Amino acid sequence: MKTRERILSGLLFFLGISFLISAAFSALPGEGPLRAYLPQDDAAAGWTMDGEPQEYEGGDLYTYIDGGAEIYQEYGFRRVIVQDYKNAKGKSVSLEIFEMETPAAAFGMFTFKRSGGGKVIPLGAGAELEAYYLNFWKGRFLMTLTGFDEAPETIDGLTAVARIVDAKIRDAGNDGAPALVSALPEQGLRPGSVKYLKGLLGLNNIYPFYTARGLAFAGAARGVYDGGTTLLILDYGSADARAKAWLDLKGYLNESDRFKRADFGEDDIRLARDGKGQFVAFMESGPRLLIGVGPDASSVLGIVQQVR
Amino acid sequence: MALKIGRREFFKKSARAGLALAVGKGLAAGAGIAAASPAPKTVDVAVGISPDYEKAAMKAVALLGGIKRFIPKGARVALLPNVQSRHPGSFTKPEVLRAIIKLCRKAGAKEVNCLSWQTMKQWEDTGLKAVLDEEGAGLKLFAKDESLFKPVPVPAGQALTEARVLAELYNHTLFINMPITKDHAGNKFTGTMKNLMGLNSPASNRTFHRPNWKTDPDDVAHLEQSIVDLNKAVRPALNVVDATEFITTNGPFGPGELIKPLKVVAGTDRVAVDAYCAGLWGLKAEDIVQIKRAAEQGLGEMDLAKVSVKEARA
Repeated sequence: MKTRERILSGLLFFLGISFLISAAFSALPGEGPLRAYLPQDDAAAGWTMDGEPQEYEGGDLYTYIDGGAEIYQEYGFRRVIVQDYKNAKGKSVSLEIFEMETPAAAFGMFTFKRSGGGKVIPLGAGAELEAYYLNFWKGRFLMTLTGFDEAPETIDGLTAVARIVDAKIRDAGNDGAPALVSALPEQGLRPGSVKYLKGLLGLNNIYPFYTARGLAFAGAARGVYDGGTTLLILDYGSADARAKAWLDLKGYLNESDRFKRADFGEDDIRLARDGKGQFVAFMESGPRLLIGVGPDASSVLGIVQQVR
Repeated sequence: MALKIGRREFFKKSARAGLALAVGKGLAAGAGIAAASPAPKTVDVAVGISPDYEKAAMKAVALLGGIKRFIPKGARVALLPNVQSRHPGSFTKPEVLRAIIKLCRKAGAKEVNCLSWQTMKQWEDTGLKAVLDEEGAGLKLFAKDESLFKPVPVPAGQALTEARVLAELYNHTLFINMPITKDHAGNKFTGTMKNLMGLNSPASNRTFHRPNWKTDPDDVAHLEQSIVDLNKAVRPALNVVDATEFITTNGPFGPGELIKPLKVVAGTDRVAVDAYCAGLWGLKAEDIVQIKRAAEQGLGEMDLAKVSVKEARA
């Protein structure tokens, strides 16, 4: 009896010490909350962790993505964790889990990063598999997995690791794309072309407005339609803010040698031609400014009128 | 040969070798490190094309008239490849670096060094460290310590009055700028001019981004103007741009869409070289603020109709 009691108390002591050690380690400074989403060794069969995870928060993102952090900051960035995986044949996969400030920010970065030509696969709230990398988003999280070659086993590996992460993120909520995106007319829309924007950097990557003023919108949606016409919906939050912004932008259009005015009968639509010879139509609509860009006047006028 | 130099050690070594910063000042007069001797004008933008990237790089330099036009015998040559990211198409290919080191040796360079304040891990992950070891070239890594950077006045600077350039650069006879051209989320394009941020101090680079860069187009343009100004302070003897395969989206870090023109582009006119590279993925030079402003401010020619472009397969 005494021996059993001794064994039992020893076991309890051991468990207590183990708990304390485990609690102490889980609270180590520098180990952020994203570690919980990392697949452990062989969670994806044959793939083990390679090295220690790297974590960056807020402004430290510049340390990781030197020269390229601004676009994440524009959308709203909280933290990222980076972990490499390898298999027995020496193939490598890099996993990045970005925690953005909101689901809209994660969706926006997802749309910014995808090519639109990738293979859509069922992961998270949306995923695209490109030649050697995969992006998917879920709630406020954006995941980018990069293989360093296009070998089938590398692609299988990054897909397998992504599935584990997807399963681990359970508290992401059910937020879909921001409402502004649904303002893009569906007919003729190329689904992979949709982008959600939060600022000038994202916009300038889509269309070169150069140093135009009046583009400090609250959010924007972009879609490309069959025939190559692009529609941009810039939302300024209120009709007053939009009116002021349009005044600034009109001033720029009048002064800039980059846009030539093209005549059009209706006063409320401004039609111009840019340096590439494309037609650009601008139309006000409540808190929004609608911009159509395309190879012919009728298509750009048609798309902005369709939204209004 | 890997070498990591701290602030004290740097000054100690400089003093011991008699490499006072005054040497750099002499070279830096006006436009910073310059070509050893003026070269007869033949081709402005030279393009070597080959799936063998080492051959493509050698061809590009040959089209310019050969490496001896740029490197005097006994020169100490500084190289600046891009090691920003290990993602495919986002860093200068090891084969291109290998070609340039071999050419420097062929010209009789006494010493060839890569200078960087990036980490050893980046050099190893990109495979560039292995090439340096194999070719017997040096890697001089520096801490992000402001005292290791030399204030260099910017002539006619609009956004910057001075740059802060790695002082070690001025212990070299000349420097070869070796970027990869690629997309950039901030200014849509990376080429020769943007690459010089890799020599400027990280603290100075931060000032390129003004507080309202998210909303104010003037603040967005401030970054572009800062890059142009930095290029007024430092002039490479030669630019060799990796355009073999590079990302056209999600730059500068990637991963992004890759295109593979299989080209290496070389020249001394940074604006012309960048204008050529921008065209490789359908960008117009006048849409890239830094290229347009650099042309307007006399750094080079962005109208490719006005320069001599020569392409050849290797």
